[in-house]
Amino acid sequence: MNIPTILIINLVILVVLGLIARAVKSDPTAKGGFNFNYTTSDLVIMAVLGALAGVINTWMGNVWYAANSVSPIYGALLQGTFMWAYLLAYFLVRKSGSMLIIGVIEAAVEALLGNQAGLSTLGWGVTQGLAAEIVMWFCNYGKFGWLVFGLAGAGSSQFGTFWSFVLYGWSSLNDYLIAAPLNLISGFIASGLLGFLLGKMIENTGLLRATRRE
Amino acid sequence: MSEHSLRYVDNGSIFTRIDALSKLIWVVFVIIVTFQLQTNLARGIMLGLLVIVTVIFARVPFKSVWQAGPIILIMGLLLFVVNLFTTPSTSTIVIAGISFGEQAFDRGLEFFLRITIMVLASFIFIWTTDIRDLMTGLVRIGMPYRYAFAIFLALRFLPIVQQEVDAVKAAHAIRGRASNSPIRHRIRLWQRYMFTVIVNSLRKAESTALAIDSRGFGAYPTRTYIKNFRWTMTGIILILAFVAFATWLMLWERNLLPF
Repeated sequence: MNIPTILIINLVILVVLGLIARAVKSDPTAKGGFNFNYTTSDLVIMAVLGALAGVINTWMGNVWYAANSVSPIYGALLQGTFMWAYLLAYFLVRKSGSMLIIGVIEAAVEALLGNQAGLSTLGWGVTQGLAAEIVMWFCNYGKFGWLVFGLAGAGSSQFGTFWSFVLYGWSSLNDYLIAAPLNLISGFIASGLLGFLLGKMIENTGLLRATRRE
Repeated sequence: MSEHSLRYVDNGSIFTRIDALSKLIWVVFVIIVTFQLQTNLARGIMLGLLVIVTVIFARVPFKSVWQAGPIILIMGLLLFVVNLFTTPSTSTIVIAGISFGEQAFDRGLEFFLRITIMVLASFIFIWTTDIRDLMTGLVRIGMPYRYAFAIFLALRFLPIVQQEVDAVKAAHAIRGRASNSPIRHRIRLWQRYMFTVIVNSLRKAESTALAIDSRGFGAYPTRTYIKNFRWTMTGIILILAFVAFATWLMLWERNLLPF
């Protein structure tokens, strides 16, 4: 097993998830397209969510490390619990690039709070954020239904294992392929659906109107 | 623990005075070189160098190193133990009367040293770098200042998030929802805490954004800083010296040195 093989496997998984996201019907939808015109409000919201997620993920990271050191398959069950804030930020901000930005912010907070990978933690922020962006890009950033969020969470969770492989290696390709469905399921539920549901709950509070102004 | 052990300490050491970007580049180089090393002896020498940097050049307080010790070592030790018992070996070695698979021991040690080097290098950076200097440095190399500011703001919000959690917990406790209840109830309590904290934090984010906007933040493509970034000579020397050392180490372990 080498890095290019793992990268190709993960890219194929991402493309499949992206195509599914593109094919499914979604409600609500938006005009979509690239939009990097972030307001100060957007940036502050991402900073606050990044701080919050960084604190939670630092604690969660220790549990993940313990599980992952026993077997990557155990780690896979928890892999999906780290990206809920990426999806929530996208739900609130609704702009392309927001998941990558919050990924970097959250990972930077985690690194500075004492993640055991040090500054290498940023690698997870970038890979996971980028993967979620790719899935959303497949549907032109225009779908905001629960299924698309779930798929983005799943893709993000799986692609994060690429960085885990770069840092820690993996015992065998067989184990990696066994862990993949677990990564996808945990990412779908614990990141995609959780991010979506939190977004919906925040929307119901009425707070979201303020966050969406241009 | 991490709140106290992992923070910038301005002790006036040589390493503290080096500019943030040079140190960041140094950390990246350390990580890249660590992956290129092939023997545990070379990795051990690299770790030894980092310990010297921590103690002599960065003068990190012993208390900080001691408190961060578990964070630095735990993952490396876990990987060492797992590899020791899972990697197949063809020969054995005896250490303190206990026999281990030789290849398993080497593999475990490889992971331990690799992780410990990367984490220690990152922590040296954190101990010796003011995050504001890093932000101005990132802006200097082309990062839009609004994005650099977002990272700085996230770190500024950390204690506020902690205060928010404490306030929400206290509010729940006053209403009789004590946290020393069965585990299922406690999970439900944490769900409520989390949602309340997110909503309150977003509300704070809104008012903060309004305050920042009202001061004209983002009105111009550039901005000024109290302390401007500048590359330091010691930073350049650090990078060059490390490149020379790493080149020597890699050639030495591969027996490619001409002398």
